[in-house]
Amino acid sequence: MAEQYAIEMRNITKTFGSVVANRGIDLAVKQGEILALLGENGSGKTTLMNMLSGIYKPDSGSIFIDGKEVSIDSPEDSKKYGIGMVHQHFKLVEVFSAADNIWMGQDKTGPILKKNRFKYVEDIARKFGFDIDPRKKVYNMAVSEKQTLEIIKVLSYGAKTIILDEPTSVLTVQEIEKLFGVLRRMKEEGHAIIIITHKLNEVMDISDRVAILRKGEYITTVNTSETNEQELTEWMVGRKIDLNIDRPIVEKTRPLLEVRDLVIRNDEGSVAIDNVNFYIRGGEILGVAGIAGCGQKELCEAIAGLRPIEKGQMIHKGDNIVGLSPKAILEKGISMSFIPEDRLGMGLAPSMSITENMLLKNYRDGKGPLVDRKRGRADAEQVIKELEVVTPSSETPVRRLSGGNVQKVLLGREIKAGPNVIVTAYPVRGLDINSSYAIYNILNKQKLAGVGVLFVGEDLDVMMALCDKIMVLCHGKVMGVVHAHKTTKEELGLMMTGVLDLSEKHEDKPAGIAKDSLFESKDGEEA
Amino acid sequence: MRFHIVKRDNGPFWQRCCYYVVAVIAALAVGAIILASIGVNPFDYYSKMFTMGTVGNKIAYKTFMNYLKEFVPLVLTAVALSLAFKMRFWNIGGEGQFIMGAIASAWVAFQFGAYLPMAVTLIFMCIAAMLAAGIYGLIAGVLKVKFGTNETLMTLMLNYVALYVLYFIGETKADWNFFLQADSARPVFESFASVAQFPSFSLGGKFELNVTVILTVIIGVLIFFYLKYTKQGYEIGVVGDSANTAKYAGMKVNKIVLRTVFLSAALIGLASAFKVGTSGVLSTSVTNDVGWTGIIVAWLAKLSTPMIFIVSMLICVLQHGSTVAAVSFSQVDSSFANMLQGVILFLVLVADFFVRFRIVRVKKGGND
Repeated sequence: MAEQYAIEMRNITKTFGSVVANRGIDLAVKQGEILALLGENGSGKTTLMNMLSGIYKPDSGSIFIDGKEVSIDSPEDSKKYGIGMVHQHFKLVEVFSAADNIWMGQDKTGPILKKNRFKYVEDIARKFGFDIDPRKKVYNMAVSEKQTLEIIKVLSYGAKTIILDEPTSVLTVQEIEKLFGVLRRMKEEGHAIIIITHKLNEVMDISDRVAILRKGEYITTVNTSETNEQELTEWMVGRKIDLNIDRPIVEKTRPLLEVRDLVIRNDEGSVAIDNVNFYIRGGEILGVAGIAGCGQKELCEAIAGLRPIEKGQMIHKGDNIVGLSPKAILEKGISMSFIPEDRLGMGLAPSMSITENMLLKNYRDGKGPLVDRKRGRADAEQVIKELEVVTPSSETPVRRLSGGNVQKVLLGREIKAGPNVIVTAYPVRGLDINSSYAIYNILNKQKLAGVGVLFVGEDLDVMMALCDKIMVLCHGKVMGVVHAHKTTKEELGLMMTGVLDLSEKHEDKPAGIAKDSLFESKDGEEA
Repeated sequence: MRFHIVKRDNGPFWQRCCYYVVAVIAALAVGAIILASIGVNPFDYYSKMFTMGTVGNKIAYKTFMNYLKEFVPLVLTAVALSLAFKMRFWNIGGEGQFIMGAIASAWVAFQFGAYLPMAVTLIFMCIAAMLAAGIYGLIAGVLKVKFGTNETLMTLMLNYVALYVLYFIGETKADWNFFLQADSARPVFESFASVAQFPSFSLGGKFELNVTVILTVIIGVLIFFYLKYTKQGYEIGVVGDSANTAKYAGMKVNKIVLRTVFLSAALIGLASAFKVGTSGVLSTSVTNDVGWTGIIVAWLAKLSTPMIFIVSMLICVLQHGSTVAAVSFSQVDSSFANMLQGVILFLVLVADFFVRFRIVRVKKGGND
């Protein structure tokens, strides 16, 4: 054989019941190479990798390591063969220190927590070129630190092949650069690296070769230098697709929702939103960017009336909405949808049918003690038709639907209520390209209809293309509001980390206060 | 040789039924082995048990009447528990709530039975039992809502508090204790059957149908309707499925939890009033373990109200049948039914597993 692969998978098939997750997949990675595994959600990337890490076992097909056929029956086997996986959701014990997390799974160290473990772990980290504090508890770590710890962990167990499942989805631009630096160095040291992703720019940036999966089927493997983003997308989606996001120009109205000096506390009682000012006009999309957990959730909940407001004002079309019940705010036409990390926990009842989920916000309407199911069914049928939800029927439990369809149901319900302000957080979280574009279209349609949209997002490229303006939050403070077509990713990244503060840029007009604010007119009346 | 667990799709309805039937038959087979090992012919025993000794019996109607006396408290308790379980509130305090209800209804019977017409006494007994049990259930609910305590532990502990209160009443001979017979030297519960007993109606022959059976069926239909078609029933479903979603939809989750817990416990109280009101006497074993058995019934029925009625009927056949059979087979105690019940539950759970998964042998692959 001319080429010796570190890992080779041949003709792998895996089924769950009648669902085929992987069918006849071939995959090979060499030492000193970064292979990107590209595919939409549900295309079987993680399933395939879980067969390497010993979590699943293929129904048929064979796996070769360094040219020898092996059988990986458990995570221990996988570790023995030098395969280490950094999962999307970190497998760390939050209350343990960095050193203890590594020590725990180390075979050589024995059952006793020795005093020299901190030194030992620090040495390992230094050997691989990392800098971590081995005494720091995991719950005190930032996301990027946790990820670094995970990487050190698999390296210290002697992994020669490292699999990273969607490693960049939780990182800022600067942190991604740093991670890619680490990956390049590991590659030079002769490690084989497989990185799972669905972000094309990252594939082009970091990988040597790309393997593409679509709906559980193996499409092809190509050298990164010989392809481009458009071609990769076509392989991934299976047809030509326009990668541009529209930003229609709409006549803007006076501010619909204005927020002044807002202070909100989080569940732990510390300040989550700190003196925030902003406004949304009808016919515009205001993006909210920020590292995860910078007060986005608290802000959304406060607007929807679900979280008490410590200080500040919220004016909707000139009326104060602070202190109103969630129901009253809903009736004013403010709808809020928040997609949490598990995608089902807020806004949808997973075991209930689409019909029943349609009723969630209006089941109280109508007299008498009975729920009007007929109306729910009619709404469900309409949303299914208009948003092209793929489902066997309107009576299918929501949890049986795929991610994109779940999110369409959620947004569909919110739009059905005919709101004038839509607050939506992470509406494309975890969605594939097709579904994401469907959601952008839905939001743009609302914008054209004169609705004000607050879009809390993760992907800066998308926000810069879709939003009219972007507000950047850092630890609950506004770092500035910038025009989406004038800003750069770097500028946003610096604002997100708090290095750059543009909130005092225009002294005559503080950020987040509209010129034609309805506040002023109200003050005028009072004076 | 290695085995792997593989997920499978839901088969047709009859196929799933087959699994459960096989589970029950297997459980009976386990019971048969045990019976045979102590020298009892399992076929004789089972035929006695499943017919509850009614075949060729001149007073078979009496057996049925006694059977229904066991059936009513069990099915009502299971229906009540299913309300809380649907909301994922793990009320395992059915025993305690039942006892509190029983004490309250006996108290009403002793205090007012002599002055009021019987129908009024009975209604008051039901109301008192529902309030007492409901409030007793609310303790765990309020603690959970206010302080986030674990309702499983709380309701479990409160069971024993209630049980020992009942023992205290049943064993303390004192002037104030009107629950006991005044003229007996030993502590014995006084009967109030003469002033408060639910009436029965003759259906032609000698068989008499107690009014509590009719009421229980009506309540079952109402609860089925309540869960499926009302706004409150809808709220219970949403809160159980995802409390966060309920909060996001603007529901007052705490209020819904408290309301449902009260309703669940109050219905258990009603079950105890039915029980006490038909037997006409309190006893330290008044619950007949329905608080526990009800949990099993609710889960075997997968919280579906019609299924709870069917499963309750079968479980009661086991329980009542084994007491009847114990008369002819002195070496088999009536608690044989409890054991059989445990094996059935276990094997039905196994069947559940096989409905969702299958086990395949791993083909030889690789170098191990």
